[in-house]
Amino acid sequence: MIEVKEIKPPRRIPFFGMISGMFTVFRHAFQKPVTVQYPEKREDQGDRFRYRIYLSTEDCVGCTLCEQVCPNLSITMMMLDKDNPRNKRKIYPSVNFGTCTVCRNCEEICPTDAIYLKGVFETSRTRNSFFYNPLELEKNEEEVRR
Amino acid sequence: MNILTRIATILGFLGHFPAYALAYLIETLVVIIFGTVAVAGMVYLFRKYMARVQIRVGPNRVGKFGILQVMADGLKLFQKESIMPSGRDDLPYKMAPVIVFIGLMMGFVFIPYGPLVWFGNLTVTHSDVSLVILFALIAIMPIGEILSGITSNNKYAMLGALRGVAKDISFEVPMMLSILSVVIMASANVSNPLDINGIVQAQSIPFIILEPLGFLIFFISMTARASFSPFDMGESDSELVTGNTTEYSGLRFGMFYLGLFGTIFLGSMIISSIYLGGYYGPFVGYFGFIWLMVKTLVLVIISLTVWLTMPRVRIDKFVTFGWKVLLPLSFLQLVVAGFLTLGGIS
Repeated sequence: MIEVKEIKPPRRIPFFGMISGMFTVFRHAFQKPVTVQYPEKREDQGDRFRYRIYLSTEDCVGCTLCEQVCPNLSITMMMLDKDNPRNKRKIYPSVNFGTCTVCRNCEEICPTDAIYLKGVFETSRTRNSFFYNPLELEKNEEEVRR
Repeated sequence: MNILTRIATILGFLGHFPAYALAYLIETLVVIIFGTVAVAGMVYLFRKYMARVQIRVGPNRVGKFGILQVMADGLKLFQKESIMPSGRDDLPYKMAPVIVFIGLMMGFVFIPYGPLVWFGNLTVTHSDVSLVILFALIAIMPIGEILSGITSNNKYAMLGALRGVAKDISFEVPMMLSILSVVIMASANVSNPLDINGIVQAQSIPFIILEPLGFLIFFISMTARASFSPFDMGESDSELVTGNTTEYSGLRFGMFYLGLFGTIFLGSMIISSIYLGGYYGPFVGYFGFIWLMVKTLVLVIISLTVWLTMPRVRIDKFVTFGWKVLLPLSFLQLVVAGFLTLGGIS
């Protein structure tokens, strides 16, 4: 037979909970704010953070694997007249960043590592101009700003 | 020498009566400006304090440290279109915010501000019954809230006004009874115990030490009067959109908003006058006003902490609390105050 000890709940003093709650609230006012003032200061992103898709048209062989694996149909192949002997069909991926979820499937499946992602995240655009053609994917973010 | 004679002496070239009339006018204008600036400062303080409590930064873009944020908000409210509901009762609907604002601003006139270095005594005006006048003026504000609720032709506004009325009548009686115990204690020492200035002068020991219960009752009542968070049944922003101010926009809404913050400031000044010794402190002849402001600021911070800590009380619980707890306690306080006065402790 196990004896079960009856534990009485601690007797609470009236109003003490309120006062201690108020004191906790007051104490919070002296903590350092967690907000980062974004345009002036930037937080560290972490080493493995990736957002922007880049494309190396030299390496792309036009296999369309990235288009097939893209879950949101963000990648569509596009004709581009470029002198690349490995890309006979002359098709290159273009990306709609408006629907891209950064799943990185395209980077993973690319046989020649032509598609790769970098930690650039300031890709804000005006209106519906999230569409990047292959030449724009090759450039840096500052150069394609429109 | 007080501020009135100071201004009248400067304006002495106009002759005696015009100088005093103009001095009164200037003084009143200064008080209104002081009230408005204090209320704007309250809004800024509240936003900054709330941000710091929530470990944020708060307004910091408009002006240095975001000081001009309140002014920017005011300008925005000025520019906004005033959208009015159809089926409203037009005149009371438009009068309601003005009543709230005027009731608040007139309350600022009767506070004994105390002396400041060169200016002398800053008290605008005083009367032998200024305490009664002050609470009569503060009691004007709920009329504006009720009018706004029942004339905007909106069910949320109506419900908010009803809750506001239920709240108001349940704390007004304990509030006035706790004031009465203060008057009883002050009457032992001064000849004008209904004058706030007399009450301040009667406090050789601050009344918070002699009647802490009355202070608590009065603080709770002023919290309910200003209707912020534990007692914001009139607003109830999660259930009734914003209660009685639902149908107001633009400057009229701004007046209600200022009324809320102004009541906190005015209430803190009243509490510090009648319970904390008002402008009394070291070097009272030079820095009386500063002492009053310091006490007020401490009370404002406490009020804001209460606001940010407590959730809203259900309306029936508050009515029960008002009639079954606060009222007997205030009667008890009255009896205790009588015994203390007869015993000659005050």
